[in-house]
Amino acid sequence: MNARSAQSRLRSVATTLAVALTLTLAAAAGCDSRQEPDLQSVQEKLRETHIYGQSKLRIGVATNEPLMGELRNGQHVGFDVEIGRYVAASLGYEGEQRLEFVSVSTEDRIPALQGGTVDLVVSSFSMTEDRKKLVSFAGPYFVTTQEVMVPTRLKDRIRTIEDLRDPAYKICTSGGSTTEAELEKHQVKTFVVKDVGDCVDGIRKGRYDAVSSDEAILAGFLATFSKEFEIVDMPFGTSELLGIGVPIGDPALRDLVAFFLQKSYQQGRDGQASPWQTAYNRTLGPWLPAEKRQPQPLDVPKLVDFDDKAPRR
Amino acid sequence: MSTAPTVTSGAGADDPVPPPRASAPTGTAVSPVADVPAGVEAGAAGWPAGVPAAEPDEPVVADVEPGRVRWDPAERRARASQSFWTAVVGVPAIFSVLRLGVEAGGELQTTLLLVANVGPVNLLAGFLTTAARLLSTGLVAVFALGAVLGVSVDRLPPGTRRRPLFARWADLTPAWLVLASFLLALLTWPLLYLPLLLPAFVAAFQLRPGRLHERVAPRLLLIVALLAGYGWLVLPTLRDAGGQGELLALALIVVPPVLALFIAGPLPGLVIRPLASVTEVAVLAMLVWAALPVISTPVLPLTVTTVGAENGPTEDVRGHVVTTDDVNMVILQERGGVRYVPVELVRAQVLCPSEEELPRHRLRIHDFHVEDSLLEGMGRRVRPVHRIDAACRAPS
Repeated sequence: MNARSAQSRLRSVATTLAVALTLTLAAAAGCDSRQEPDLQSVQEKLRETHIYGQSKLRIGVATNEPLMGELRNGQHVGFDVEIGRYVAASLGYEGEQRLEFVSVSTEDRIPALQGGTVDLVVSSFSMTEDRKKLVSFAGPYFVTTQEVMVPTRLKDRIRTIEDLRDPAYKICTSGGSTTEAELEKHQVKTFVVKDVGDCVDGIRKGRYDAVSSDEAILAGFLATFSKEFEIVDMPFGTSELLGIGVPIGDPALRDLVAFFLQKSYQQGRDGQASPWQTAYNRTLGPWLPAEKRQPQPLDVPKLVDFDDKAPRR
Repeated sequence: MSTAPTVTSGAGADDPVPPPRASAPTGTAVSPVADVPAGVEAGAAGWPAGVPAAEPDEPVVADVEPGRVRWDPAERRARASQSFWTAVVGVPAIFSVLRLGVEAGGELQTTLLLVANVGPVNLLAGFLTTAARLLSTGLVAVFALGAVLGVSVDRLPPGTRRRPLFARWADLTPAWLVLASFLLALLTWPLLYLPLLLPAFVAAFQLRPGRLHERVAPRLLLIVALLAGYGWLVLPTLRDAGGQGELLALALIVVPPVLALFIAGPLPGLVIRPLASVTEVAVLAMLVWAALPVISTPVLPLTVTTVGAENGPTEDVRGHVVTTDDVNMVILQERGGVRYVPVELVRAQVLCPSEEELPRHRLRIHDFHVEDSLLEGMGRRVRPVHRIDAACRAPS
C-alpha cells in the first residue's frame, strides 16, 4: 500500500515537472518566434552600402577584351559583363534603365573605383595583395593562368620563358596588369601598352612578336583571330584569381557581392543551372582548352535572404 | 462568453424562480432554448403566464445536490455549441475589420476604400491564412491544460468545488473538435515547435505509456523504437543546431518527446489551483500578444509596380494593389497613402516578399526549413524555385 502511494506521489511529481517544463518550453518558443533574426539580412546589408537608394548602378568593364568584356554593336557583351549583370540584378539593378556599363582600361580600374566613377569593377581584375591595399575584392569568380599568345608564324620559335628573354622578340603586355609584374620577375623585357587589345593589334601590324596575359583574355583574341594566333603553354606557375573590385570604403557592398557569388557557386554545386555556368557557357566555355568550374568565393558573410527556406534538393 | 438572450432576466427579482434553477446565479442562467411552451411547470411554481420559461427538454431533478446546480448536459452542449459558432464567425469578422483599419494606416478614407474593395470572403480567407497558427495554438493550449486539470480535479483540497475553467471547457468540447485542433496545429505550426505538440496531445487525451502495451518489456521496446525513429528523423538537424550553438532549438527538438512519457496523470492537489489561475492568465496574455502581429499582417499582397511613360524615366511604387479598373490602378503604398496610377503608365509589376518572412534559424529537417509548417514545406516542394525580383530590393 505504502509503496503504491509512494509510486503515485512520484508519478504526480513527474507529471508536474513535465507540465511545467512543457509550459516553459512553449513560452520560450513563443518568445523565440517573435525575436528579431540574429543574422543580418541581405536587405539590411544593402542599406549599409553606398549604392542604396542610387537610381543607377555603374559597373566598370573592359570594352576590348573579346569574350570577357567587349563592346559589340553598342552592346556590352562577354563573361565579365554577364557576371556584372547577375550581381547587379541581385543587388536590385536590372534593365538598361538602372544599369550603366562604364568602360575602364586595365590601368584605370583602381582609380575609377577610388574616384567613385564606378561602383563595381568586373574586368578581369586579378586579386593581389598589393591591390587589396587600394580596393576590396569579392571573389574569386574565375581562376586563370598566365599564358603567352604568339602569331602562327612564330609558334615553333617561341616555346619557353627562355625564348621570351631573347631580345630578338618584342613581348607586349598591358600596363598595370599582374602579367607585367610576373614577366619582370622572370627578367623578360616587355613593351607595356594600355590594353591587351593594343598588343594584339601591334602583333598583327608587325610591331610586337608575342603577347602575354591571362588565359581568359587571350582566349577571347584567339576566338576572334583563330587563324592568326596560337596560345603557348608556359610554366609561369602562378594562378590568377579574378575578383570583382569594390571601393575599399564599402565593406557592406563587398560582402553582398561575395554573398551573391557564393549563391551562384552553391547553385552550381547542387547541379542547378547557375548564373555563372550560363555566363560561362555563352562566352568563354567553347574557347578554353579545358572546362572550368566556378571557384569558391572567399570571405563570404553569413546572411539571410527571402529564399533561404526554399528546398535545396 | 455567451451572448444568448437571457430569458429569465425578464422575470422580476420578486418573481418566484421555478425549480430546479432556484440557486443558479442570474448571470449564468442563460439558455438559448427559448421556445419551450410557457407554463409547463408554471402551475406549481407560480410562474407568470406568457413569460417563456428556460427549461431543459428533460428537466434534471433527481441528482440535484443541495446548494449546487447541475445543468442538463444536452442544454450545456447546445449552449456551448452556440457560443462556439458565435466565436468562430464573430472573432474572425471583428479581427478582419480591425486589420483593415490597421492596413489603411489608421486613415478613415483609406479604410473605407479597402472596405469597398476587399470582399468579405477574401478578407476571411486572408485572415484564416495568417491566424490559423494562432487559433490552433490557443485551442491546443486550452484542451491540453484542461485535460490535465480535469484528471487532477479529484485531488483538489476539500471545500473547492468549482472545476477550473479550462477543465470545464475541455469537458464540454467534443473529441472531434479537439482532434481537429491538433490536426490544424500539425499542419500550421513551424516544424521547430511541432515536437511540443506531442506532450500536448498526450496530455489532452491522457495517453499513458501503459496504453502502448500491457506488459512492461514490449512497452519499453516500443518506446525505444519510437524514440529511435524520431532520433533518426532529427539527428542531422540536432548536429547542425549543436554546431550553430542553437540551444533553444536543441531543447525544443529533444525534450518534448521525453516529457510526453510523463505528462499524463493527475497533478498533486496543491499545484492545481495555482496552475489553473496562472495558465488562464498566461493563455489569455499569449493570445493578446500573438494577436497583435496577426492584426498588423497585411491583407493584400505586397507588390512593386514600375510606373512611367514610354521611353521616359520610370519609378517603382512599392505597395499593395487595392483594385484595378479601366482607368486606374489603386495602390496602397507601403509607406502610407494611396496612389492612383493610370493603367497605361504601368510598365511592370512583381510580387515581393516582406521582411517579416525572413527566417531566424538556419536549420532544416530533411530539407524542410524548421520555420516552415508542414503545409508550407509541402508547398515549397510543389514550386521549389523562388526568385526574388530585382525590383523587390529597391528601397521603399
